[in-house]
Amino acid sequence: MKKIVSLLLVAAMMLSICAFASAEGPVEITFWHAMGGVNGEAITAMIEDFNTQYEGKIKVNYEYQGAYDDAFAKIKAAGISSIPCDIMQVYDIGTRFMIDQGWAKPMQEFIDAEGFDASVIEPNIAAYYTVDGTLYSMPFNSSTPILYYNKTAFEKAGLDPNTPPKNFDEIYEMSKKITESGAAKYGFGMGNYGWFFEQWTGKMGKNYVNNNNGRGVDYATAVEFDSNGAGHDILSVWKKFVADEDTAIAPYLNQGNDDAKQAFINGDIAITLESTAALKTLLTNVGDSFEIGVGFFPNINADDVGGVSVGGGSLWAFKTGDADREAATWEFVKFMTNPENQAFWNARTGYFPVNVKAQETEAFKANVAQYPQFQVALDQLHSSAPQYAGGLLAVFSQARALVQSYTEKLVHHEIEDVDECVKQLAAEINEAIEMYNLTNY
Amino acid sequence: MVKNPAKPRPMRIKKTPYERIEPYLFLLPALVIFAIFLYYPFARTIYLSTWVTDALGRPKKFVGIDNYTIRLFGKADFWASIVSTLKFVGVVALGGLLIGLITSLLTYNRYFGSGFCAAVYAMPVAIASAAASMAFRMIYHPTGGLLNNLFGTQINFLGGANQFWAVAAVTIWLQSGINFIFISAGLKSVPAELYESCDIDGANYWQKLFHITFPTISPTLFFQIIINIINAFQSFSQVKLLTNESPNSSTNLIVYAIWHDAFRAQRFETAAARSVVLFLMILVITIIQFSFEKRSVNY
Repeated sequence: MKKIVSLLLVAAMMLSICAFASAEGPVEITFWHAMGGVNGEAITAMIEDFNTQYEGKIKVNYEYQGAYDDAFAKIKAAGISSIPCDIMQVYDIGTRFMIDQGWAKPMQEFIDAEGFDASVIEPNIAAYYTVDGTLYSMPFNSSTPILYYNKTAFEKAGLDPNTPPKNFDEIYEMSKKITESGAAKYGFGMGNYGWFFEQWTGKMGKNYVNNNNGRGVDYATAVEFDSNGAGHDILSVWKKFVADEDTAIAPYLNQGNDDAKQAFINGDIAITLESTAALKTLLTNVGDSFEIGVGFFPNINADDVGGVSVGGGSLWAFKTGDADREAATWEFVKFMTNPENQAFWNARTGYFPVNVKAQETEAFKANVAQYPQFQVALDQLHSSAPQYAGGLLAVFSQARALVQSYTEKLVHHEIEDVDECVKQLAAEINEAIEMYNLTNY
Repeated sequence: MVKNPAKPRPMRIKKTPYERIEPYLFLLPALVIFAIFLYYPFARTIYLSTWVTDALGRPKKFVGIDNYTIRLFGKADFWASIVSTLKFVGVVALGGLLIGLITSLLTYNRYFGSGFCAAVYAMPVAIASAAASMAFRMIYHPTGGLLNNLFGTQINFLGGANQFWAVAAVTIWLQSGINFIFISAGLKSVPAELYESCDIDGANYWQKLFHITFPTISPTLFFQIIINIINAFQSFSQVKLLTNESPNSSTNLIVYAIWHDAFRAQRFETAAARSVVLFLMILVITIIQFSFEKRSVNY
């Protein structure tokens, strides 16, 4: 199958090369993105806008390659022979893999060559994509997890609708009140999503993997959440909230966060956790049926001191050996991250404006005035220090899947003991890391 | 002696080199296609299963049978996956057949509305498994789904051990359409004289069913079982979509596991080894099926 895919891609490459050779005129570059739905419409509008402004000079051919995982699988399959695009949107956890493969031309090279003022890039976001002082990819769609709550249900339950819970102890108390008052079927519910595990580890100020969270000169060789207590604390929350019959108050809403999102929109759960990128989707779908409040992503323990790190995606420019196309790619990157476009992108999706100057635009101010929820997401990001940028790991998507699968085993009593669960989980991820390091370095 | 003036029997003459290779030239297009899309990938799969690969699937280090012994047979998850696959194939093959059989018996006689019912029973044939899976995810939703609202329950149909039955139910439903169509056609081909002579002998419905209908349509039933087994083995999109790309061990069917190993976990060697195991499983099942056919199909 992989063979067939790569053959087809090679054929497509050939076709596009022929197209280049025969046509005089604008420099054509190919952009692979991974945005569907509401977000896909927004990104298409921005690209079309670029093509209009640069008509006759640059033409961006954009292709939706499926969600992050699918797009990433395609670039891996193509990468054996040749890279089929000039620029691509890759998710956060693909960062280490992309650096290891060496296909990309780091953004730092463009920035240095032009003397571009990189300080306009939101520092906490740039920190994630900076390894060893080099900014590898341009942050484009960045998000963090936040807490969403149903203000209307809070009022019905006699809670202050302007005070969201800050940690899981508060969630527990509030959630019980909401359920008992009948304001919602459940006070609290969250998807079993591996990203949250990573975020809570960072919020405790702890590392997910060793070697400076995989950000040092040496790549990560083993997980650290098993020895530093992060895994224990996080899975204990799952056990208390969802698994243990005596204490459970939340339904199990399956892996991923689609079901949790749907349950929140239906009004079945009053407090949930989701990406900031879901804000626009939630506002649109909930409409007038209740008022949505947002709060900071909750701490596992009341005294946690760390911060959240960004998720989402960034733009990777590939080495093509063609100076014109690389220059066109850089123009396109600058366009997509300029203040106006980032303000537009923020308003249409809920992703952060990665350009700090976007916050000065009228479009941004108008949007925040209408939906103050956007501001909370931004405040949360600013209150996190760049040192909690989050880990880097080449097998992160595997690790995330394993985290989810072991959480599910705990919830369904296939494993009863939290420490045993953490131990087995760590062993499996370590094995994956070991295999990757053995065959790729 | 009169010489027979009739045409002399053509002598076998020596073939020119072109004539010698000519038949192979006709075979060539088919052979090339088979070689590229079947034999080469098959050989390559076996080859890859004895190496460990890098993240792009390029072989890096020869490990012999380690991929089988350590990375598959040594893992509880692998055996769970094999057991669930066999259980799934059994449940879906029989379930699809049973529903197809019952629905086609129900619509065998013409009555008011039988045409409508037949259309409804055949409908799943026309529904893509991906679209059905998305619809069923909403129907199964743990808090706001149709099923939970209907029964006033709070059951997570896609969590824990329920997941297997939820995925199997959707697959059975999808399968039932093609079973209905083939079995209905089979029922129509049962000669009416046989039923008439039974009526004269005073046989009741069940006697006719077991002594006339089933033996006569047994080739159709056998054919459908094979088709069901093949389709059940190939189940993929409903596993991927209903479980949101994260089946638990009860639903981690082998085809899904192969895909996940290669295209999500970047572990091409275990994907290759699993594929070889799947090949052997299907080989054994095919041999059993054909020996079974000789004994149980009466016509």
